[in-house]
Amino acid sequence: MADILDILDIEQPGASEITRDSIIHGDKAKKKYVTAKTVRRPEGMHREVFALLYNDNKDLPPLLPTDTGKAYKQTKAKLGMRKVRKWVWAPFTNPARKDNAVFHHWKRASDEAKEYPFAQFNKQVSIPSYSESEYNQYLKSEDWSQAETDHLMDLCQRFDLRFIVIHDRWDRAAFRDRSVEDLKERYYNICAILSKVKTNPWSNSVTMVNGEKRVYHYDAEHERKRKEQLKRLFDRTQEQIDEEQMLLAELKKIEARKRERERKTQDLQKLISRADSGNGIVSNQTSVVNEGANTPTGSTSTIARRHDRKLHKKKLTAQQRPVRTVETVTVEWSGIKFPEARGAGVWLRSQRMKLPPGVGQRKTKAIEQELRLLNIDIAPTPTEAICKHFNELRSDLALALDLKNALASCEFELQALRHQYEALNPGKTLTIPASICNTNVDAEIKPLGEIIDVVGSPSALNTTI
Amino acid sequence: MSLPTDFGPDSGGRVKGLVIVKAIVYGNIARYFGKKREEDGHTHQWTVYVKPYANEDMSAYIKKVHFKLHESYANPNRIVTKPPYELTETGWGEFEIVIKIYFHDSNERPVTLYHILKLFQSPVSETAPTVGRSLVSESYEEIVFQEPTQLMQHLLNNIKPITNGQWTHDSDFEEKKEKTLEKIISAQGKVRGEISELKDKLQLAKETISKFKEEIAKLQNNPAASILSGV
Repeated sequence: MADILDILDIEQPGASEITRDSIIHGDKAKKKYVTAKTVRRPEGMHREVFALLYNDNKDLPPLLPTDTGKAYKQTKAKLGMRKVRKWVWAPFTNPARKDNAVFHHWKRASDEAKEYPFAQFNKQVSIPSYSESEYNQYLKSEDWSQAETDHLMDLCQRFDLRFIVIHDRWDRAAFRDRSVEDLKERYYNICAILSKVKTNPWSNSVTMVNGEKRVYHYDAEHERKRKEQLKRLFDRTQEQIDEEQMLLAELKKIEARKRERERKTQDLQKLISRADSGNGIVSNQTSVVNEGANTPTGSTSTIARRHDRKLHKKKLTAQQRPVRTVETVTVEWSGIKFPEARGAGVWLRSQRMKLPPGVGQRKTKAIEQELRLLNIDIAPTPTEAICKHFNELRSDLALALDLKNALASCEFELQALRHQYEALNPGKTLTIPASICNTNVDAEIKPLGEIIDVVGSPSALNTTI
Repeated sequence: MSLPTDFGPDSGGRVKGLVIVKAIVYGNIARYFGKKREEDGHTHQWTVYVKPYANEDMSAYIKKVHFKLHESYANPNRIVTKPPYELTETGWGEFEIVIKIYFHDSNERPVTLYHILKLFQSPVSETAPTVGRSLVSESYEEIVFQEPTQLMQHLLNNIKPITNGQWTHDSDFEEKKEKTLEKIISAQGKVRGEISELKDKLQLAKETISKFKEEIAKLQNNPAASILSGV
């Protein structure tokens, strides 16, 4: 009550209310509210503006700016507990260099003067050397003169076996131009020969494996082919690339069609086997056979298999898969096969009436619905005779349901064929025997005049001219 | 028939070609208190039972019957070792009771029945007759002993009657059996007829389909004819 009065700015009527609280605490609690000197909001001033001027304590706004400016200044970041260590700009020499050049770098003042740590990374490639006699004895080549070989070894030493650089710096004035492969081939040949002749392993191209010398063998022919191949791939024109893409796409199509055919033949196989075992009526398999007949030769399929399927597989199955035609009416029927009597043991009669697990949920539901229509309990009193007849009845019901479905799809096909016929031959129609149609009576049995499904056919255009 | 007490080393052996069927009735009766009980909210007293269909003492071959109640009951696994194989409780809700019957010969596996405890009269009652003010929900079942063990055969063939008086049931299963069988057989005839009719229709449909296809093939091979006929 006091809060509401406070919110509404109504002065509390003294101590007219005597509560338990007011008796215990005396006037203390009340004073808090009363002492505040109220500053009335001037007429027409928005509440928000007034709130800026007067805060909740209803103090007057300060006359002097109170911001000392310190609050927003950033203090220096302190990252560690210890004092910072000094860095100095100091000279150093690199022992890897031979010219004793002096450079400068930053280092810690406290650090001892040590050897330049990166000097150790200046590794030298050990290039084999040979004497005159060794060359004449082992290294003579028809293609390479000794002067040329010496030049090569010199460049190898200078450029640390960077053959691209060696090739670039090759003295073309003195010797004939050689490819990178030629240079490498000659160099590694020399290495191999010398490693066999000399005993101490001097080159990093020789490794010891099981006490046996292994020499790096450079396959120049392979390298040449590889580079040639890369060059050709790089030099393809846009037309060639496009053609390749197109061919690959065609390949995918062929593959997709092949899969589709395989699927259809499998369906056909199933149908045939079912017909052999079951009731002997097979849906029109002829259409499937026809499609199987124009199977292309196997060669295309083997090519297809070679290529990466994964890449486009997803896309293809969505795009290329032909829409299933109306012609393939698959019929699946056979009653329900209840399991034979089991071996020795105790069992309950009612267990015999359980539908086998192969029967799907939908079929089970449909059978139960039929039973309800026939006013038969879906779990009848289990005696031997009832069990037997009940199972037979349900098997028959399942068969009847399948037959009905088959008939419905046949009817659909008939309708489709009739439309096709009417499109080809306007003004005429085929009559579907009435007995087939009675599953749904409202199936369109149109009078001849009403048939207008001829717009797209070419023969229709001819007649109008 | 001799009554061997010792069946020798092959007493586990089974009697070939023999099938013994024992019919039983299982279910529950329930009685409404007339009001909700103050202390625990229970409304009904019910008794779940397994009893022989014929006037027979089932303890000859049944070792024990295990009733598994809803878990909200204290000690939900109740075992009854002597006839009558029944259990009386109070409660307020319906649930499935699992009834497991164990036989004296442990070579014969126990059988399991499932019974939905029924307390409330369903609006359309055809199978549950009311006796006095109580409600009965029971089912007929047959336990089939196929090629029982010799011990079991001996036990099954030496069953004494359970009472000297009349042994009756609340439900008339004989009549029900007869009626059900009649209904099923007549339905079978009906469905068979339907099937042969459907088969004929299907045959006709197939023939018509091939006829239609021929017609269309004719048209497609000879499009000129259709134009002429159109003119």
